[in-house]
Amino acid sequence: MATSPSPIVRLEGVTKRYGATVALDGVNFDCNAGEIHAVLGENGAGKSTLMKIIAGVIQPTEGVVHVDGEPVALRSPREAVSRGLVCMFQELSLIPDLTVRENLMLGAPGTGLGRLSGRTLTVACDLLARIDGGHIPMRARLADLSLAERQQVEIAKALAREPRLLILDEATSALNASVVEKVFTVIREESARGIGVLFISHRFHEIEALADRVSVFRNGRHVETFDNGAYDYPAIINKMVGQKIDDLFPAKPEAKPDAEVVLRLDGFGWEDGLKDVSITLRKGCITGLGGLDGQGQARVLQGLFGLLRKTEGDIVLDGREIQIASPKDAKRPDISIALVPEDRKTEALVLQQSIAANMQLAALGVDGVPASDPVLYRPYIDALQLKYASLDQPVGQLSGGNQQKVALTKWLALKPRCLLLADPTRGIDVKTKTQIYELLRRLADEGTAILLLSTDYEEFIHLCDETHIFYDGRVVRHLQGDAVTAENILAATLNLPAQGGTHA
Amino acid sequence: MSLAIARRLDLTTLLPFAATVLLILGGSLFFPQMLGIGYLSQQLQIAAFLGVIAMGATIVILLGHIDLSVPWVLGGAALISTTLAGTGDPLLTALAIPAALAFGGLIGLINAVGVALLRIPSMVWTLAVNSMLLGISVLYTGGFNPKGEASATMNWLATGKLAGIPVAFLLWMAVAVGLALMLHRTGFGRYLSAIGYNEKATFLSGVSTPSVLFAAFSIAGLCSALGGVLLAGYANQAYQSMGDPYLLPTIAAVVIGGTSILGGKGGLLGTVGGVFFITLLNSILSVMQMSDAWRSIIFGVLIITMLMVQTLRGREG
Repeated sequence: MATSPSPIVRLEGVTKRYGATVALDGVNFDCNAGEIHAVLGENGAGKSTLMKIIAGVIQPTEGVVHVDGEPVALRSPREAVSRGLVCMFQELSLIPDLTVRENLMLGAPGTGLGRLSGRTLTVACDLLARIDGGHIPMRARLADLSLAERQQVEIAKALAREPRLLILDEATSALNASVVEKVFTVIREESARGIGVLFISHRFHEIEALADRVSVFRNGRHVETFDNGAYDYPAIINKMVGQKIDDLFPAKPEAKPDAEVVLRLDGFGWEDGLKDVSITLRKGCITGLGGLDGQGQARVLQGLFGLLRKTEGDIVLDGREIQIASPKDAKRPDISIALVPEDRKTEALVLQQSIAANMQLAALGVDGVPASDPVLYRPYIDALQLKYASLDQPVGQLSGGNQQKVALTKWLALKPRCLLLADPTRGIDVKTKTQIYELLRRLADEGTAILLLSTDYEEFIHLCDETHIFYDGRVVRHLQGDAVTAENILAATLNLPAQGGTHA
Repeated sequence: MSLAIARRLDLTTLLPFAATVLLILGGSLFFPQMLGIGYLSQQLQIAAFLGVIAMGATIVILLGHIDLSVPWVLGGAALISTTLAGTGDPLLTALAIPAALAFGGLIGLINAVGVALLRIPSMVWTLAVNSMLLGISVLYTGGFNPKGEASATMNWLATGKLAGIPVAFLLWMAVAVGLALMLHRTGFGRYLSAIGYNEKATFLSGVSTPSVLFAAFSIAGLCSALGGVLLAGYANQAYQSMGDPYLLPTIAAVVIGGTSILGGKGGLLGTVGGVFFITLLNSILSVMQMSDAWRSIIFGVLIITMLMVQTLRGREG
């Protein structure tokens, strides 16, 4: 089945144990030069462990890693890089307090003590421009960039190292479809030179469009490697979970255009980032916010959660105009708006603290809510099937999907009238996604108004009742019913006229 | 899992207490009088001065901040209280302690303005506040030791005894228990360590983080001021730079008590142990007639050792 007889990396009987836990179990796996190889699996299936072994971050307990046919011991990321194995991890490896320029220079080939190579920078800048990051200022501090921009910088940095095998571990999770396409266009051009790409993604359409071969992992075992297109979605999902998931998304109920209005934004604006936005949130409806990254959709959530100063226009809740000056205001029982932020590691959770402490942090100090009572959180822990050893376990020990469940539970315990979600399924495995979708639908049915910002347009099509697409701070299209199609969404995100969808 | 964590926390907290006991036992081999009631009671009294200040410092360090204005809040409070008591006017004498505490609280609020609202690193801002307080007090006293004396109440608080136990120690314990209740019974303690670990996530959980910073820095100011009142009562006067020897030991006591200098992890109980340890170590070194120079070096080494232990433990966890 191999398309090329020369694997760059071949793993033979690789096992990795952490104490009693087996993260990888006797895995045989190879990745060829010039191919884009997708790795699929639920969180905890062993994908990240596999990547870390190839990148030299950890060493296998048993088994051999072959690079270019020779058995090697990759004792550190530096050794892996020197053999052309470059990895981008989901925990971004850039330094927040340095500028974009400095980050691009850091550790690049040809730079060493006291010597910075201008050529490397030119190459990196050029790469950045080719993946739609030309607008990112070189002198900006990395911490001031959006998550998507940081990922673009990270990709440019990795590509500039002229890797032989590029490992992308959820590295495109915050990027929009069009940027991801550009990234892979660049990679395809490079792969003509014999570069292999190994990537983890949870977005099926991305994998379908880009991968040559697909490997599925489950519970630390390599299930199967096959050519892209050999199986359809449901068959692949079944391989991943080992049991049947009928459908990724819950059934969508009848549209309710006349449902009671919970919250209305009227001519909402903020500085240059948001102009004249009017959105109506109805009881029981899931409203989507889409668009390319940084077109103002995130500002809507921030504005509704009291994070923006001096907003224009009105916020009308249950018929009365309200002011929301801070998150503390937003969570007041008479307003009751909750936000699950985009970056769960830095914004949503205190990783060093226990699951219990994290869940209680929002409820603590709210009148009439018994924050320390575990019963308050139980229904959501159960509905989301949170996997944990003990509620005293630090949240940082949980997998990404389980962390997101904690972040959701923390706010759902307050039973918010209006729930704001910033890309809640980013970098999360399929099973957790279905659990989250199901819960969101159930909450909507119970009367919660949900505003869902997403970078995955399938969520607009299959989950949302209506969707607003943003461009340059404005809503350029309001899609409802049959109009919510992949073509229309893509056209709108690029601010092209309707029906002009020419997406391949 | 929870058991393991609890055990480790207890160990960190109990460590300074165990070290203190070892110090006493070890010291008593050379100086048998160390096991006498008189000596130990005197140590409790001396420990109380540092202890009161370290309680406030613990709260600020839990936040991931630091209060370097301790020396001159202490000095200023001593100056204010002795000046008022020194007038001999009964009303002003009665006001001595409240005025000193109000001063401490006010400086705490000023510290919080810089840190919480202007977002200036606390290390710089509180150092600047300390320097300004120094300047103001020199302007006021002309650089000489001020006149004035402690009130009878101040003397009693610092040197009196109740049922054979030093009043200063009882006062320290009262402050510690009061703060501990505040930390555990309300959300305040939870907010402190959540902010210490991740201020952004705490703010986005709908916590008014500036209010928490304001409360924490005012408590620290009040504690430093109370320390100043006690010291003035002990020495029966205020003098220039009386707070200077207290800054480093305060931080050392907090760090030895297991509170992370980066914020988040730690608590008051550990600091109580840290204060005992520092006080006894100081006392033993002075009994051994170790010079000030060597004592400073030893404290510096102690702080660095504790920070290294914390870093290594953090890496392993």
